[in-house]
Amino acid sequence: PLRALHASAALGRASDEHRNEPLSSSSQQHFDSPPAGHQPEQQPQGPRPSYTGQGGQESEDYESEEQLQHRILTAALEFVPEHGWTAEAIAEGAKTLGLSVAAAGMFHSDGSELVLHFVSECNSKLCKLLEQEQKQVQLGEAEKKPVDEFLRDAVEARLRMLIPYIEKWPQALSVLLLPRNIPSSLNLLTSMIDDIWHYAGDQSTDFNWYTRRAVLTGIYNTTELVMMQDSSPGFEDTWRFLRNRVADAMTMSNTASQVQSTGEAVVQGLMGAAVTVSN
Amino acid sequence: VYQVFENVAKKYDVMNDSMTLGIHRVWKDILVHKMNPCPGTLLLDVAGGTGDIAFRFINYVRSVRQRQLQRKLKHHQNLSWQEIFESYQKDEFNPLGDSQVVVCDINREMLKVGKQKAQHLGYSEGLSWVLGNAEELPFDDDKFDVYTIAFGIRNVTRIDLALQEAYRVLKPGGRFLCLEFSHVSNPLLSRLYDLYSFQVIPVLGEVIAGDWRSYQYLVESIRQFPPQEELKAMIEDAGFFKVDYENLNFGIVAIHSGFKL
Repeated sequence: PLRALHASAALGRASDEHRNEPLSSSSQQHFDSPPAGHQPEQQPQGPRPSYTGQGGQESEDYESEEQLQHRILTAALEFVPEHGWTAEAIAEGAKTLGLSVAAAGMFHSDGSELVLHFVSECNSKLCKLLEQEQKQVQLGEAEKKPVDEFLRDAVEARLRMLIPYIEKWPQALSVLLLPRNIPSSLNLLTSMIDDIWHYAGDQSTDFNWYTRRAVLTGIYNTTELVMMQDSSPGFEDTWRFLRNRVADAMTMSNTASQVQSTGEAVVQGLMGAAVTVSN
Repeated sequence: VYQVFENVAKKYDVMNDSMTLGIHRVWKDILVHKMNPCPGTLLLDVAGGTGDIAFRFINYVRSVRQRQLQRKLKHHQNLSWQEIFESYQKDEFNPLGDSQVVVCDINREMLKVGKQKAQHLGYSEGLSWVLGNAEELPFDDDKFDVYTIAFGIRNVTRIDLALQEAYRVLKPGGRFLCLEFSHVSNPLLSRLYDLYSFQVIPVLGEVIAGDWRSYQYLVESIRQFPPQEELKAMIEDAGFFKVDYENLNFGIVAIHSGFKL
């Protein structure tokens, strides 16, 4: 947590309140001038970018540690194609913001936070995209897509965000699979899948919720792996694979709904599975 | 304090090894590993007299630099021979990648021993030796990427001044690292540790360095030193953020880290 040493006491943000207590107790131990005037006296050097709210400067410069870390990671993404998902990339990112390379020490030396940050950013971008599309449909500017086309487009849009980093993406995947990162990476994955289904709307696919999640997760993960090894122009092989997988999922769903109604549908279900396997 | 270290300078390394049974080397290695410096880092090692941290830093940066160069070579597939030759030349003359260490100590004797060690071990470039007081460093503001003080801060009379100086000379984004003896919370271990400290160490001091009193002082100053949480609060007071500590060997030694943000 950030020590709001400065004028931000007046800002009255909830998060500041508990920090003002330690401030008042530590001010008794200070031999120097009272806290309000403390920081500016310490740093009289010229126009140094201030990452903490200094005495005179108000809320525009006020930035929490999390926000600063966020900015460093975003800046670091630019260096990933060259350095990989490593502390080096983070160090270069910090340098572009005017910070010392030692700031990379704030993060783990294996680049975990960088990968997780990127994935979460991609997911947010996807959400925004889907929301915009939904708005357009609501305004009548666009047609509502059928489920399979929707899923295909959403997965493709999301995977296209990987293209600038595709060379180092296998490294990123291995980082995401580290035991330490699995809770976070799993969380990010499932929330993305949920978002896609949410915007797909409830169509009569007759899957229950878990099955839908599992199916789409399978589609996404397998397509991602195919993309790693795809050298076709514009990744056309990947998109074709994606189309086939989504089609299979639709077939399975149609099959499943018949199982509920008639007995012979069991046979059809087996047929559907065989088709999937043979693809 | 000055006289303690005057006596102690020459035998410093030997005493360190015998007192800590050689584990101090591991502690210092862990410190540099935690720092994870990349080439181009400017390090200030305060109270670093005999150069232990400085040498480890140079080794670390050298090996990182070598790996960097190897990776660069792998990418040089489309360059002409002339370009490859030029890049070889440029990199050969830069094995440290512009990284530098400034070793600062209040005691001339310790610096002398350090310089001799450097020569003996073959460290020539990237090192500077400066006489100075941690409470009043002879450096400009915003200069260094990393500030370390290994087993030195407990000898500083005004720790808060030393912390403020550390804050001053660090660049924005710079890191403060402190390796120091600290408090053992485990009661059983604490008793064993006390036994060892008060019975064995001064005796070793007498036998090896001929100086019982200095080592008695050492052990007592360790007990007087603020515990982990208190030191963390002091570091935060100096203006550092993301202050954290890592206990090594159950609290016998702790590494505190903070950032100037």
